[in-house]
Amino acid sequence: MKDNDRRDGWTKRPEVCVALTGVDKWFGAVQVLHDINLEVRKGEKVVVCGPSGSGKSTMIRCINHLEKHQKGRIVVNGTELTDHNRDIDRVRRDVGMVFQNFNLYPHLTVLENCTLAPRWVKGVARKDAEALALGYLERVRIPDKAHFYPSQLSGGQQQRAAIARSLCMNPKIMLFDEPTSALDPELVREVLDTMVQLARDGMTMVCVTHEMGFARQVADRVIFMDAGRIVETAAPEEFFGNPRESRTRTFLKQILH
Amino acid sequence: MDFTYILDALPDLMSGLKMTLMVSGLAIILSCLIGALGAALRTSGFKPAEYAVRGYVEFIRGTPYLVQIFFIFYGLPSLGLRFSVFWSGVIALTVWASAFQIENFRAGLAAVGRGMNDASASLGLHRWHHALFVVLPLAARAALPSSMNTLVATVKNSAYLQAIGLVELTFVAVDRIAYDFRAIEMFFTICVIYLLCVFALSGLGHLVEQRLNRPFAGR
Repeated sequence: MKDNDRRDGWTKRPEVCVALTGVDKWFGAVQVLHDINLEVRKGEKVVVCGPSGSGKSTMIRCINHLEKHQKGRIVVNGTELTDHNRDIDRVRRDVGMVFQNFNLYPHLTVLENCTLAPRWVKGVARKDAEALALGYLERVRIPDKAHFYPSQLSGGQQQRAAIARSLCMNPKIMLFDEPTSALDPELVREVLDTMVQLARDGMTMVCVTHEMGFARQVADRVIFMDAGRIVETAAPEEFFGNPRESRTRTFLKQILH
Repeated sequence: MDFTYILDALPDLMSGLKMTLMVSGLAIILSCLIGALGAALRTSGFKPAEYAVRGYVEFIRGTPYLVQIFFIFYGLPSLGLRFSVFWSGVIALTVWASAFQIENFRAGLAAVGRGMNDASASLGLHRWHHALFVVLPLAARAALPSSMNTLVATVKNSAYLQAIGLVELTFVAVDRIAYDFRAIEMFFTICVIYLLCVFALSGLGHLVEQRLNRPFAGR
C-alpha cells in the first residue's frame, strides 16, 4: 500500500486496530520474528502467507499474546500488550481466534463449547448465552448440531463451530491460523464461505492461509513472510499479478499451479 | 473345607473388613487429592516444586512398601511424631498411593494437549475456570484407567498394615489361624472378600468410565 495513492483521503481512513512495531521474537536462541511492522485498520482483511516455518502463525499468535514477543510494541485497539494480565485480558476480549486444529473442547457439546466463555468470562446467564450461541450457530449454518459433540461432526462443521464459539465473545478482530489446512479438500469450501460471509459483515480479519482464491476474493492486502520477516505487502491484484520480490514469485509458483 | 467354621468366623471377618474399608477409603480419598495437587505442582513450571514432587515419587516407588510402614510406625516416634496404629496405617497407605496417583494424574494432564490452552486463552477464560471446566474433566478421563489400578492396589495393600497390628481383614484371619489352625478356610475366605471388594470397585470404575465415555473419547 503506497501512501501517495491515498493521500487525498487519508484522514477518512478507519482507525488502526492492530499495530505491530519493530516486533522481534525468539524461541530460545532462535529468532523467529525479525522487525515485524504491521498495521491493520478497522474492517480490513489481511491475508498472511509464506512457506512453513516463516513465522506467520507465530506473528498472529503474538497479537493475542498466545506467544510473548521480546522486542517492539504490539497495540490492539489502543491497549499495548505488556506482561500485565489486565492488558492481556483486555486485548483478548477484543480478539477472537480460530485454529488449524479447531481446538474445540471435546467433552462439551457444540452449544456448551459456545456458551462456556460468555457465561464465565462475561457472566451472561445460561439462557441468554444459549440464545446467543444458537444465533451464531445459525449463522455458520449448523444450528442442528448444537447438541452434538465435536467428534460427531465433520472437520468442516467443527471448524464452523469453532468460528461460532469465537464469535460468541463478540470480538472486534478475528485471527485465523490456517483454518482450512487440517480439512479434507471437499470441506474447505464451507469454511471459506463462512469466512467470506464474516468478511462481508465487516469483521476485521487477519488470516494465515494458503487459500489464494480466498485471498483474491476478500483480502485488502496480502502479506508474504519468509524466514521471520515480512518480505512483501501488496493488494491482491498486485500481489498475484505482479509480485516484486523474487522469493514471492518462487513461492507463488509453488502453490499456484 | 469346613464351611460351618467359615460361617462361625464371619462376624469377626466382617469387623476386620470394616476396618479395611475405612483405612482404604480414607487413603483413596486423600491420595486422589494429593495426587491431583502433586501432578499440578509437578507440571507447574516452578522448579523447586517440580523437583520436590519428583523426589517424593522416586523415593516412594524406589523403597519397599513394608519398610515405609515400619518407618512411619516405628521410625517417626523417635523423631517425636507418634500416631495411633489406625492413623499410622492411613498415613502409610496414603503416602504410598499418592506417589502412584501423582504419576497417573500427570499422564492425564499430559493428555489434555496445548490446543485446549490456546482455545481458552484466546477466549479470555480465566485460568481457574480453564482448569476446572476443561483440564480437570479431560485429565480425569485420561487418567481413569491407570488410577483405577492404583485404587484397587490401595485396597489390597491395606493388608500389609496387619504388620503393625491394625485389626483389619488379614489381621483377623491370621489371628484366628493362630488359635484354630484353619489356614485354608481363612485364607480362602478373605481372598473371596478381597475379590468382591475389588470387583465392586472396578465395576464402579467402569460405570464412571462409561459416563465419561461420551462421544469425545473417540478422539
